[in-house]
Amino acid sequence: MKSRNVLIVTKKELGGIYAEKTIVFAILLQLFIALFSSFLMVGLTTMYDPDALAGYQGVEYRIGYVGPEGELYSIIDDRQDLGAYTMDLDVAIASLKERQLQAVVFVPETPPDAEGPVLVTLYMLQNDIQSAIVEVKMKEAFLVYEEKLRNERSDRLTLNPIRLNFPDSGGRSNYFEFVFGLLIPLLVFMPAIISAALIIDLITEEYQAGTLEILLSTPVTYGEMLWGKILACIAIVPIQSAAWLTLLAANGIVVQHPLEILLHVVAGSMIMIIIGAFCALHYRERTSAQFIFSTAVVVLIIIAMSFPYNPLNLIVRLAVGTIGSGHWILLSGFLALSLLMSLLLTRYASRISRLPQ
Amino acid sequence: MSVGYLRQIYVVARWELLRTLSTMGRGVLPVAITLFILLVAASGLTAQSGLHIQDGIYRLGTDNVPAGEVIAEDGRFMVFIDSRASLLNTWDSYDLVILGSEVYVRDTEKGHAALTSLEQVFERYSAFMNVQEPDLYAAYPLWINRIYERSTIDFSATQSGQQISPIPQRDAPEPRGDVVPVATPKATVPYEPDQLRAEISRTAAQDDTISRYSQVIGQESGSGSFRTPNQLAPPLPFDSIILIFVFIFPLYFTSQFFMMSIMNERIERRGEILLSAPYHPSAIIIGKALPYFVMMVAISLILIVISSLPVNTILPLIPVIFFFLASALVIGMLARSFKELSFLSIFFSTIATSYLFFPSIFANVHVVSLISPLTLIVLEIQGDSFTLMDYLYSTSLFYLTSIILLYAGAVNFTEERLFSLHRLIPRTIEFISAGISKTYPILSVFVLGGLVIPFVFMVQLMGLVLFFNLPMPLSLLLLIGYAAVTEEVAKSVGIYALAKILPGGLTWRLVIFGSAGTALGFLAGEKLLLFATITEVTESIFGSVMFLSLQLLWMPFLLHAGCLAVVAVALKAGGFRWYIPGIILATFIHVIYNLTVIGVITL
Repeated sequence: MKSRNVLIVTKKELGGIYAEKTIVFAILLQLFIALFSSFLMVGLTTMYDPDALAGYQGVEYRIGYVGPEGELYSIIDDRQDLGAYTMDLDVAIASLKERQLQAVVFVPETPPDAEGPVLVTLYMLQNDIQSAIVEVKMKEAFLVYEEKLRNERSDRLTLNPIRLNFPDSGGRSNYFEFVFGLLIPLLVFMPAIISAALIIDLITEEYQAGTLEILLSTPVTYGEMLWGKILACIAIVPIQSAAWLTLLAANGIVVQHPLEILLHVVAGSMIMIIIGAFCALHYRERTSAQFIFSTAVVVLIIIAMSFPYNPLNLIVRLAVGTIGSGHWILLSGFLALSLLMSLLLTRYASRISRLPQ
Repeated sequence: MSVGYLRQIYVVARWELLRTLSTMGRGVLPVAITLFILLVAASGLTAQSGLHIQDGIYRLGTDNVPAGEVIAEDGRFMVFIDSRASLLNTWDSYDLVILGSEVYVRDTEKGHAALTSLEQVFERYSAFMNVQEPDLYAAYPLWINRIYERSTIDFSATQSGQQISPIPQRDAPEPRGDVVPVATPKATVPYEPDQLRAEISRTAAQDDTISRYSQVIGQESGSGSFRTPNQLAPPLPFDSIILIFVFIFPLYFTSQFFMMSIMNERIERRGEILLSAPYHPSAIIIGKALPYFVMMVAISLILIVISSLPVNTILPLIPVIFFFLASALVIGMLARSFKELSFLSIFFSTIATSYLFFPSIFANVHVVSLISPLTLIVLEIQGDSFTLMDYLYSTSLFYLTSIILLYAGAVNFTEERLFSLHRLIPRTIEFISAGISKTYPILSVFVLGGLVIPFVFMVQLMGLVLFFNLPMPLSLLLLIGYAAVTEEVAKSVGIYALAKILPGGLTWRLVIFGSAGTALGFLAGEKLLLFATITEVTESIFGSVMFLSLQLLWMPFLLHAGCLAVVAVALKAGGFRWYIPGIILATFIHVIYNLTVIGVITL
């Protein structure tokens, strides 16, 4: 195998990718996913933690309170963001329907230490964003009330669970887990999947469009053609992933160990691309190859996910910096696997190239 | 004619089916079946062992051994049990430290995220312990019966909380309308403690990522509208994500075969035989699509029966199937090479999936969610049936765009278009120009102006979903700009294509009358479609911004015609290089106009 010929094929394929602007689509795609996800996150945090946005601060939601003025009344009314108004049930519901109130609670006269539960009825509007916000706020009030009632009845409890005192941290944060635990591994690994689909297209097209014979009539051999294409597919992976990590850093999301992450992505994409090449060489027809490949990849990913220290988890751990030098062992394991697979692929390719086409 | 036409479809469909079976049959089927069995086994494995993506992202040190053991069951935490003294020494290497029963958090974003997760772990643990108490009502003394009322006024203008006064009001509100007597709710829970116990364990277990996603379908709440405080307001409504995997993914997959079948006709001019048959192009397309359509409907029905949903759940899926097939046709006809096909289809599927998926997250929360047919399925799963209006509202755009795409495919299903190897954008323009008659250019752009409307609405509604939950002034401004760009680009398509195909380029007569014609068609289409479907959104404040131009007819006409004329003049005077500057200028004018109409800018 001559490395010069391999490089010629690589250059030709990279030129094709550039000319068709397909890579632009790939990047647009990732940009779109990231944009939508972050919009979604902003939206959901706003919805579930409205104080996260300054514009909502100081707003008081009005709650109709029906029943004897007890502990729950003061819990609600003492909150900055909720105001309780004692009313009749009929009037309260009518006001709720006119949106003069955001929720109505009906509290029965059950004593706190009664045998049965205290059953509070909460009326809210259907299909309404405000209801979703008010429900979160009422939940907090109810939780305080529940704890008081539970203390009142503590002599009836038998188990003694472990208790922890949590500091008042001010607001929950789901953002971190979402970005580092899902978005980053997804975006960084996407190029590997794209490249694996690409190798199938590149190989099957030579067969289906009948250009393989022309290519092989030049000094380029079958193996050089194959490895040239594989090299082109691998070459674009770290570029895309690195572009992502840079973009994220520009957005203030700084990932630790970027170089190690890129190495893992390259190792993972080698394995995926070689599987794709196997499918393409076997079927030599795009529909079948892509179908079998994508099903196989889904199976593979699902299996990998059910093990700790899978490649995606390694990327997460590297990104948040909770892994020591142990990942180098795993990395060399993945590299050894891909090396073994490429030897098998070369043997398979040399067998195929001797067959009549 | 009609019998002959049906016969043509039948012949093509049979041929397509036979060919697919023969190419796929030999090598693919055994492997596919093996992989499918492996897939089921792998899902079982994951369900057993859980998803290990976020394992070990937090470091937690503690000297409280029992608490440490509880926390270590959650894979996200790496728990280090150590003595108090050495924990104080290595303090900085932990996100959380628990000394005795006190939790200390490192003041970083990661630290706060770790604390949030720890609180969730402990909520789950307490639920697990409490539910084992012999006296359930001592462990869960408070129950909430959640009842939803329908508002008598529609939802307009409430999304932002604008109606709530920031200044606390001391007086209780007085209803303006009639007060209807409401039955006093009962003070007892109509369920046995054991039923409630089972329900609490079930929802507590659902916090676990996998089961939260896998148990959504076909599970009714065991305690009706009764809940403990903890069960109110579930943290993140990502549950509908499962719908994508269950319903949309197989449909997308099958449409890929159709896309490939179209592409195959174009390789080495293989479709020449088909084209030379005395068949109408539309019969060829429908015939080729028919086996895939039947397959997709069958797959959906099987999935519906498996998840024991009512059979009419298929109704919202039909327009989705049409849309996938129509797009597959156009993509299969547009792509030049396999890799372009791959990228176009991945790109399309991501956008289509987002359009379907994201609105459905807001099912139950906001009417905007109805723009996705998936929301209807979410409603159906919850047991709320949807009305005919809801159905029309969420599916009409899918039907319309599919028909237009199929039409574009049929018109272009000729030798000249199928086998040309132009670049993507010129090809797209060629496809559009097939709908333009050189003899009646103005009539053509009028019709085209009307036909782009469903696409414009789709793109704009997607923007609405993106922006509606941002804070108020920002979301309105973004939406105005976004809507303006979309409309300007969509309107200019006809003029741009004309400029490309006419030998001498645009004439001044065409610049003027073409702009006017397109604007007229655009307005007519907008008006018609709004009338039919989108009344619900137009009543909201966002709708009134997006579809602002409906109050007076001559003003929006002048706006549309004027903005388009800017682009047309740019094309005429400066050539194609001036297209983008023209669009930018037109958008700017459009935005200024909209801001003036809603009164932000006063003249």
